[in-house]
This record gives sequence, C-alpha cells and structure tokens, in this order.
Amino acid sequence: MRRLPTILLTFLLFLPAIAFAHGPTRQKLSLAVDVKAAPAEVWAVIGNFQDMSWHPAVFKSTGTGDNAIDATRVLTLGKEGGPTISEQLYKYDATKMTYSYRITEVDVAVLPVTNYSSHLTVTPTASGGSHIEWRGAFYRGYPNNDPPENLNDAAAIAAVTAVYKAGLDALEAKFGK
Amino acid sequence: MRWKPSSANRTVLFCLLAALLGPREGVADYAYVTNQSSSDLSVIDLERMKEIRRIPVPGMPAGVAVSQKLGAFFTVSPDSKTIRRFGLADANPQVERQLDGGPIGIAVDDRRRRIFVSDWYNARVWVLAADDLSLTATLNTGSAPAGLAISPDGRWLATADRDSHQMSIFDADTLALRHRITVGERPFGLAFAPDGRVFSADVGSNTVTAVDPESGRVLGRAKTGERPYGIAFATDRGFVTNQYGDSVTVFDARTYAEVGVIDVGGYPEGIDTTADGARIAVANWDTNTLSIIDAKSLEVVGEIATGDGPRAFGLFLTTDMPKE
Repeated sequence: MRRLPTILLTFLLFLPAIAFAHGPTRQKLSLAVDVKAAPAEVWAVIGNFQDMSWHPAVFKSTGTGDNAIDATRVLTLGKEGGPTISEQLYKYDATKMTYSYRITEVDVAVLPVTNYSSHLTVTPTASGGSHIEWRGAFYRGYPNNDPPENLNDAAAIAAVTAVYKAGLDALEAKFGK
Repeated sequence: MRWKPSSANRTVLFCLLAALLGPREGVADYAYVTNQSSSDLSVIDLERMKEIRRIPVPGMPAGVAVSQKLGAFFTVSPDSKTIRRFGLADANPQVERQLDGGPIGIAVDDRRRRIFVSDWYNARVWVLAADDLSLTATLNTGSAPAGLAISPDGRWLATADRDSHQMSIFDADTLALRHRITVGERPFGLAFAPDGRVFSADVGSNTVTAVDPESGRVLGRAKTGERPYGIAFATDRGFVTNQYGDSVTVFDARTYAEVGVIDVGGYPEGIDTTADGARIAVANWDTNTLSIIDAKSLEVVGEIATGDGPRAFGLFLTTDMPKE
C-alpha cells in the first residue's frame, strides 16, 4: 500500500509544470580560488560557454548560440551516454570576465536542485594572478513540504559545493597556486 | 526631537502640514529588511543610509509587513513556519505563532486588524488577528499563492496564485471570493498602484499584468526584464525588480510603455516606495545590499549593507521612528 504514493510522487516530479515549483528557501553558495596565472589566461580557458572541458566531471559539451545571450549547452557527465545537464546563458561580459547561466533541465537524481542559476567570474589579484569565483543560487531538489533527506536543503548545498570544488580544484592544478 | 505621529488625527494634520511645507523635515524613512540566510532583520535608516539595528528572526524569514497604524511589523519564516509580531518602536518580539504548510507572503489590513498569510503548499490564505495572531479563517486560492496585498482603500485583498497563473481577488471585509483572473505565467509578487489597480509580476512570461479588482478585467501588460519579482509605484510609474537581470524595469503605469532600466545589486527581490514617493528601496538577495533609487531621476543614490540574503518580500518601509 505504501508503494503507490511513491510511484505517484515520482511521476509528479517529472511533470513539466511541477519543474517550476520549488522549496521555501533559496540557497546561495560562493566558492573561490586564487591562482597564479593572469586573468586573461584563465578567461581564455573558462570564458567560453560552449567549452566546459576544464571541469573534470564534464565528458562532453554540445550547444548552440556561441556566447550570445540565450545560448544553450548540454553537458554530458562522466562518460558517453552519461547523465546530462541542459543550461542556458543569460549574461555574458567578456570585458568584466563574467558569465551567468541557469539550468533548464536536470534530473534531481543527478543534481538535487531546482531553479538553479550560476555565475562564473575572474578578477585580478594584487599579485597579478586571478581570483576565480563560482556562485550559485538554487532551491532544493524536492519542491514540496517535508523533503526526504537526499533532496533537502543540505543535500542541495552539498551537491553544488562538490561540483564547484571539483572545478576550482582542477583550475588551481592547471594555473598554479 | 523628531516629531512622531501618535494618532490618526495628528497624522492627517501632519500630512496637511507636509503638503503645505513641501519637502518633509524631521521625518525619516526606515526599512525593515528580512535577511533569509542570516535569519535576522535589518532596520535601516534611509536618511543616514545605514543599518541602525539587527534583530534576530529565527527560521529564515522572507515575508515582511510593516504597519505604522498598528505600531508593529510582522515576519514570516518559511523554514520554521513561524509568524511573528514585533513592536515597531522597540523592535521587540511580542507574539509568535507556528503554522503548518508553507507560509510565505504576508499583508496587513490595519483597518480590520487582520493579517493575511499565503500558504505556498496548500492553495490557501490564513486570516489571523493582528493582535494575538490567532487564526480566524482560511481562504481558498489557486495553486501556490505567494504575494498578497490589500488595496489602498481597504476594499480588496489580492493574491498571486503562482502555479495557477492567476490572481484571486477577495472582498477584504466579507472575505468572499470576487474574481479569479488569468494573468501572465507564474505570478509571484503583486502590488496595488495608488489608484487602486493591482499588478502581478509574472516570473514565467517576463511581464507585469494590470488588473481592475472591481471588474476583474485585465487592463494592460508591461514587458519586464528576466524573472520579475516585486513591484512598487511612484509618480505614475511602476518599478519592477528583475531577479535574473540584476536590474529594475521602470514602466509608465498609464501606457505600460518602458521608461528605463536601472542596474541594481545581484538578485533584486523586495521593492517598496517611501511615504513621500520620492525614493524606491530594493533588497538585493545575492549582494546583501539595499539599493536606493531616486524615483524621478531614476538614479541609484545609495547602497546600504544588510544581513545575508535580504528578501524583504512585502511592504517593508515606514516613516515611524525606531529606537536605536
């Protein structure tokens, strides 16, 4: 008897209209790293929305629209045929070395968040190196009241933190401490 | 010594004097900004452009409503599902009540001493007594009600029912449902213009929809930036926060034509107008600041630090004088 509600719930979670629903409290997260390389050098690697190969979790990135507003990309994670994340660019400023995008489609089993938006920014440090900041705003994966543990606020923060940390660690290795 | 209104008559007298004397003297504007991430509230003096008090509000508060007439402000903490009433002058907590469901938005009907709180998860609005926050009634809305507001003349209660793409209009006196009106996609914030029209900010369609609460008819639409959230009015213009645009869209409230776009802080949300209509305050959730806009020149004239994650979802400005 307890099976049925779970099946219904799973079904409801994948209805498109429900994808817009969200939990009560938006979370925000900001991780940053300082590297030795100059901002222009770093931006040349991470400033292209169509190329996220600098992130160790990304196997493949395909998209359209270059770095224009509303450009899209689909990230395939891990390996060929792995889970995907669809994203859309909504701000891009090469002079300020910053871009902003949001997730348009992701299974909460892959990344337990909804209404996710993010900014990646490179600024110069006093010593001529680069400060790379990755910020995110998102709601937990479970849009309704009383979330299960794997889809609550803490799970969302932990998952996004892991994504950012893996990316920034790779950049630190590439561009030097 | 600042002049402090203490009764309705004195307030009327004061307004008359203020109208005669032109720019107000000795009355400052104060903002009561709910900081969701740091679970507190910033009291900000808009004249001196600084935070003068920080009050703990547990449970990650988002909704806020200030009532000068009741000498109180109210907060909604969705995480702990708690509504609180604080004294306006001393900012001391007076009453608190825990609800079930998903409380989020709040509006005060000071004429009838009632509080309305939207339930994000259960398609309803709680009606509470303003004095002791006791539950007196519940109203049925569309799916996921968020913003709600009382008309300036006190006749109407309007709610933005996000997942039903509609606005619900209730008679604020009898609490009877009068209209359900389809607006843009996923309306979240909602505000009455001084002339009595009510506007929804439609997150999904990047529009603002104007409605006549009496007839229930849609009167017009204005284009906004990405993810419009809150609306305020001054000098026949509407001001809309664009969450994803880090900006405020200004439109002509009569023709619905765009007047301009103002850059503010990151992820702007709550927005409200000072009592004299001269300035607009915007809470920037991402950058932890309150942007102050000159309603005439449309320039940002100040940026004040707040706590972490300011939402200020509701009417959060007053001219009353809090103690420091």
